[in-house]
Amino acid sequence: MNVVVIGHGMVGSRFVEDLVARMPDARVTILGKEPEGPYNRVLLSAVVAGKTDASMLAMSAVDPARASVLDGVHAVHVNRAARTVTDSRGDVHEYDRLVIATGSAARIPDIQGIATDRGLVPGVSVLKDLADAQGVLARLPKARRAVVLGAGVLGIEVATGLAARGVAVTLVHHAGRVMERQLGDAAAGIATGALHQLGVKVVTGASVAGALERRGTLTGVRLTDGGEALTDMLVMCAGTIPETALARRAGLPCERGIVVDAQLASPADPRVFAIGDCAQPPEGGTGLVAQGWDQARRLVDAWCDGETAAIDQAKAGLTDVVRVKASGLDVVTMGLSGKFDHGDRELRAVRLADPSVGRFVEVVVSNGLLVGATVVGDKQCASELAAMYTRAIPVPADPAHLIVRPLAGASPAAAAKNVEDLDDDATVCQCNTVSKGRIVAAIGDGCANVADVAQATRASTGCGDCRTNVQRLIEAHAAPAATTTDSGAAAPRIPALAG
Amino acid sequence: MTVATHCPYCALQCAQTLHPTPGERLPVEVAGREFPTNRGGLCQKGWTSAEVLRASDRLTAPLLRTADDGFREADWDEALDLVASRLSALQEQHGRDAVAIFGGGGLTNEKAYALGKFARVALRTRLIDYNGRFCMSSAAAASNRALGMDRGLGFPLADLAGADAVLIVGSNMAATMPPFVQHLAGVRERGGLVIVDPRETVTAKLTRDGQGLHLAPVPGTDLVVLLALAHVVLAEGLADQEYLEERTTGLNEVRRAVAAWWPERAEGICGIPAERLRETARVLAAASPSHGGRGAYILTGRGLEQMSQGTAGVTAAINLALLLGLIGRVGSGFGPVTGQGNGQGGREHGQKSDQLPGYRMITDPLARERVAGVWGVDPDSLPGPGIPAVQLLDALGTPGGPRALLVHGSNVVVSAPHATKVVDALRRLDLLVVADTVPSETAMLADVILPVTQWAEEDGTMTNLEGRIIRRRKAVDAPGEARSELWILQQLATRLGVPTGFPTAAGEVFDELARASAGGKADYSGITYDRLDAGEELLWPVPGAGHPGTPRVFLDGFPTPDGRARLIPVDHHAPADDVRADAPIYLITGRVLQHYQSGAQTRRVAELAAAQPGPFVEMHPLLADSLAVAEGDAVRLTTARGTAEASVRLSEDTRPDTVFMPFHWAGKGSANRLTNDATDPISGMPEFKVTAVAIAPAPTREAVAR
Repeated sequence: MNVVVIGHGMVGSRFVEDLVARMPDARVTILGKEPEGPYNRVLLSAVVAGKTDASMLAMSAVDPARASVLDGVHAVHVNRAARTVTDSRGDVHEYDRLVIATGSAARIPDIQGIATDRGLVPGVSVLKDLADAQGVLARLPKARRAVVLGAGVLGIEVATGLAARGVAVTLVHHAGRVMERQLGDAAAGIATGALHQLGVKVVTGASVAGALERRGTLTGVRLTDGGEALTDMLVMCAGTIPETALARRAGLPCERGIVVDAQLASPADPRVFAIGDCAQPPEGGTGLVAQGWDQARRLVDAWCDGETAAIDQAKAGLTDVVRVKASGLDVVTMGLSGKFDHGDRELRAVRLADPSVGRFVEVVVSNGLLVGATVVGDKQCASELAAMYTRAIPVPADPAHLIVRPLAGASPAAAAKNVEDLDDDATVCQCNTVSKGRIVAAIGDGCANVADVAQATRASTGCGDCRTNVQRLIEAHAAPAATTTDSGAAAPRIPALAG
Repeated sequence: MTVATHCPYCALQCAQTLHPTPGERLPVEVAGREFPTNRGGLCQKGWTSAEVLRASDRLTAPLLRTADDGFREADWDEALDLVASRLSALQEQHGRDAVAIFGGGGLTNEKAYALGKFARVALRTRLIDYNGRFCMSSAAAASNRALGMDRGLGFPLADLAGADAVLIVGSNMAATMPPFVQHLAGVRERGGLVIVDPRETVTAKLTRDGQGLHLAPVPGTDLVVLLALAHVVLAEGLADQEYLEERTTGLNEVRRAVAAWWPERAEGICGIPAERLRETARVLAAASPSHGGRGAYILTGRGLEQMSQGTAGVTAAINLALLLGLIGRVGSGFGPVTGQGNGQGGREHGQKSDQLPGYRMITDPLARERVAGVWGVDPDSLPGPGIPAVQLLDALGTPGGPRALLVHGSNVVVSAPHATKVVDALRRLDLLVVADTVPSETAMLADVILPVTQWAEEDGTMTNLEGRIIRRRKAVDAPGEARSELWILQQLATRLGVPTGFPTAAGEVFDELARASAGGKADYSGITYDRLDAGEELLWPVPGAGHPGTPRVFLDGFPTPDGRARLIPVDHHAPADDVRADAPIYLITGRVLQHYQSGAQTRRVAELAAAQPGPFVEMHPLLADSLAVAEGDAVRLTTARGTAEASVRLSEDTRPDTVFMPFHWAGKGSANRLTNDATDPISGMPEFKVTAVAIAPAPTREAVAR
């Protein structure tokens, strides 16, 4: 079987690796527009923030011996009747199955003066590929101010990353609150407060209307609210647009993305599939790599096992967990979050808002399962909720327990009591199950030091961690005169290393 | 006259002094003895170990199954004649592989060696494997392919004391081998103990109060934690570049593989906050030599290894250690913490399906020639590789499978995964022979039970978790007719037509073992009882009489073809039996302090049984609340394999999505009725440590009656 994959990004490469592993006799060709081979686009903001070395981005790719890998070569034409793909070098590739994994492009808003015929004005950029990240890094040494447009996940990551590098950042967002798709008012307010603390100035309800430049270089921006801001950089994080041009030209139905059915196939052509950001599956695209990787896995499974590629709700991990990667700002959302529509479901939403310490948690529960959550400023809670959400693990009877955890040590069992305050039946030496009562009795019988107690009760002869406690009990219970004498009754010693 | 020996239980092999006490209820009195590993300490199991010598139902005569399904006592000749004639008949009728052997990681080196030789020379069956497959196989497979050798810790335990950080993944040694904890005092003082365990075990509690960090991942995701730590080490430029260039290969592949495991993604799978993962990676890096630290160690346990991705898990741990430049350096290192008493030696001398003495591969023509030479047989007469434990147990009594099984030092009915299936398999056999000291659950299914000596009744050597060879010394005679396996194998071999080559004196067997191991990876050729008895500290390899032993391995390079360690890319997959709507809770299994493995020994010690009387399932109060059960309630646990019952023990130490059940009991409270027998594709290790379970209140008697 001839398989052609268009797009050698995070999803296309994962698909091909899995496919050749499972279907060794498939003849696979993968075309990648960028010369570098697959790399981790999710971490571009971490590179800009200086948290990740750019050398860390390269990802594993299919063994070139197992597939024809054409990096730096893009597809220019798909002929569905002839089942061929023509590439930018003019070579023609035949396919039995075609997988489109072209990803998405950065949306470039209509802003006056950001571009000339030569492209974006120096200082203006998006952050979609490695070249963009390198462009931003190259300007950093001379940049004192930056404007980031768009307070979605990427915009917030870029803004906090630049701020952490000492750049004065203004984050401009068209909606009335940051991350308006994921956060409601209260959560967004707390996140905004955290952004301010990290040195990011947040302007909401406005956009960038025009770029100000001098001698061909950006010097500032004019905002739609009439304000102006001096800046050395404008990084536009205004969303993405699925790359559908090739599919549209091939006559495949496209809306926002390339329309595919539950089997990830085009309704117009059962030989053509789309996965990753370019695809528009029935449940909608999330723009998250987890969804694309899940699609890649399902498609390979379907081809190899002859099963359906549709999401098996009983088995599927939920992939719409959104995490902002920003030091000092913890925002995680999943499922129903922000201002969601209850529909006709029976939902229980429980929330905790604690703005003065920057904490907000909301959990949404339906039929005993967590169906959504919004967490700002509580790392531990966020990671626990995500683990529970993605695995559909039943929630406690009272969802409030998902939010408020008992204080460590608040329960009687966990309380770190002083050994003197323990009951007599409490175990002091775990290794030998020796109770406090037995130790106290041994002290009463004349044991005057830890070695004596060990001899009499075996307490402290395992890991030795309770020696301090045994000593305290001796001090508390022994007759004053006896505490310093050594009994000399220790077990006879055998040469240390006799085998 | 006192006798210096070592504890009968775990791989720490605490040194003991036995004082014979003629005329007393127990034949010896036990005390701890100063030794580099236990420093005089013993846990409750060790202190009470003499009780097992006089277990009330100790086997003291061979037992033969009777027509009415009971047992009758027999003398040795009758029992051995019967076994040998049945084995011969079955092999004549169905071929050599009609007989299989199942060994144990508690057997002395001498017994393990003799058992492997007996299989290959007397029975000439390829079907031998052992319960170490359930214990160390993933660690062994990963160490061998990455480092070229598997010597457990690779360094003396006492070295841990000097480190700035020790990362321990999936081991609860404070409960399973308590005296080990003494070696962690230094690193705890410096705040560098890092424990990865879904439970806040007593070991994890050692990190409290600033003594370190505890990461509690979702069960089955420890590998993700390791991948994320490797990611951070590389992303933040914390790796030891010089070491990687000089001593390893494969960096590029591993770098690309862990590129997919950035901390925020890992957090979504393992449930540990991304910042916590970063913090942990930085603690380890700061402790490592390339950053001027005093050193760091990475240790793995069964929690990581007993997975269908166990080999990948240990590989990820090795990768992390290599990235930090820890392996083959004084003061730093990597190692799996071996579990069974002779789990290390037991995997070196030929009771593994693909192995010959000296940690040689049975498929290697040179190894076959060398060992056959020592054994005085034609190399071509040696059988080829057999099959690993789970597969072997599955094959019993099936068409074309083995018809007879000899079990030595193992209680598979309680300790193997999917235990009910194992019972069915044993019942399909024409002949089951079990050699044991007590009537274990497995022995009770046997056609012939052979009473054997134990611990204080025999001489031999064990190889502890450090790769240190130690002496087991006889202090008392065994009761009744109990005999050493060395004698039994010699008797059987003679009856099978091989009258020579099976000496019964342990020292003689050891000398032959040492010769057979010469030139192998686990080279014991320079070790003698005399050297050990003179107090020499010998950690293998000891290639030759004048060799001082090898306390720390890999200092001068790795025993791989190019002398370099291999970084090998690995990836995570979900458990074979993951949580789902009708089994929404994770079940993990493990041990408690007072019991050892299947409990065949410790359940017979009154003091231990009193402290931990029966099966229980530990769960978080929140989970108990949602299941509407309370402390002490009986619950029924159901997995895709079967059901078990246990009483509820509430604890905030366990994640609310997870329950913990110890596996020491038989019958309806047996945890291994529930565990998954899916295995690791490389090591054959079963996935004991994670499965999906449904829990409900146990049906009451009245409900059952209705």
